[in-house]
Amino acid sequence: MKILLKAFLLTAPINFAYAAEGQKSAGLPQMDIATFPSQLFWLVITFSLLYLFMWKFVIPRLGATIEERRDKISNDINDADNLNTEATDILKKYDEQMASASQESNEIITNSKKAMLDHLEMLKKENEEKVNSLISESQAKIKAQEEKSKIEIRNATLDTVKAIVSRYIENIPSDEEINKKLN
Amino acid sequence: MAADNPIDPIHQFEISKIADIQLGGIDISFTNSSLFMVFALAATMALFVIGLSKKSIIPNRMQMLSELSYNFIANMLRDQVGDQGRAYFPFIFSLFMFIFFCNFIGLIPYTFTVTSHLIVTFAFAGLIFIAVTIIGFVKNGLGYLRIFYPSGIPIFLAPLIVPIEIISYLSKPISLSVRLCANMLAGHSILKIFAGFIVMLGFLGFAPLVFLVVLYALETLIAALQAYIFTILTCIYLNDALHPDH
Repeated sequence: MKILLKAFLLTAPINFAYAAEGQKSAGLPQMDIATFPSQLFWLVITFSLLYLFMWKFVIPRLGATIEERRDKISNDINDADNLNTEATDILKKYDEQMASASQESNEIITNSKKAMLDHLEMLKKENEEKVNSLISESQAKIKAQEEKSKIEIRNATLDTVKAIVSRYIENIPSDEEINKKLN
Repeated sequence: MAADNPIDPIHQFEISKIADIQLGGIDISFTNSSLFMVFALAATMALFVIGLSKKSIIPNRMQMLSELSYNFIANMLRDQVGDQGRAYFPFIFSLFMFIFFCNFIGLIPYTFTVTSHLIVTFAFAGLIFIAVTIIGFVKNGLGYLRIFYPSGIPIFLAPLIVPIEIISYLSKPISLSVRLCANMLAGHSILKIFAGFIVMLGFLGFAPLVFLVVLYALETLIAALQAYIFTILTCIYLNDALHPDH
């Protein structure tokens, strides 16, 4: 009430002043009390309509739209998160499978390498044995041949000596004698 | 400041009757002021009717504009008052939109600025003051009187502090209404005066024209800023009523 009184006191002298002068345009139009009821009346009407419009129409609809959008965004984010988790799982599985597959193949490679090496070793051994036996056989043959040749050479020498001697001497030496001399 | 002066800067604030209406001996004529109140109402309605005509998840420009203004005021109210302020959101939102459009429509040449009249801004400020006081007493009972004696003040300062607080509380509606009205009044008067200089200086008028352009930009800022200040101060007063302890 005090405020209203103050406002009235503030405006009153000016209004009285130009009311006395009988001149409407003097002073600020803001201080013309005669226009106050009309301004207040129309302000109440327009602002009430605006308030009703905001209250009943704008705010529920805008609020709903904003809420809907927020829900949609959070749903989409959830979906994206789920898909992301799924993709990560699949990637993990893939990595695991890749790891196990590479391990398996490594094993296979190692095993086949080993088998190959074993086989090679075996073949080598076999061949060596064969070669060794062949060598010893040949050596034995050579030795036998040597012995044989030695005897043949001796016999030939013996015969030759006998023949040469018989040419010059009547008395032919016996084999033992010649052998003695040869030795 | 004679009425026949073609560049009378006050002339733009004069209220002229469009339709004479009398109700019980009281003059409630439809005036240019009423017309521009209706324009502000129509502009707000147009913004939201167009903005909300096609509710879509991905908003178009008008929907964006209406949602931006909604979020702007909703955030302001939440920051200042908190969740308890939700009930007052329709009023705060309407208040902002109405003052905003009144201020902006008034910037168009040959229009009338509703908010340049003290009675209009004082009606708002007075309504807010009374409402806030009632809310304060309803929500806090007599505990609301604590706002006149802030906690942590020594008792011997009370005779000094309490009257100061009471005076500052009672002057809130005056400062609130005068701030908005004076800003509109002064700004529009200066615009008009400089526009008059352009006419008077003839071809030298380009100098005040440049100044007028800059001033017009400033007035545009002030139109938005004053609507914002009026609204945020309302939020602050409301917060004081709901939480008188701090």
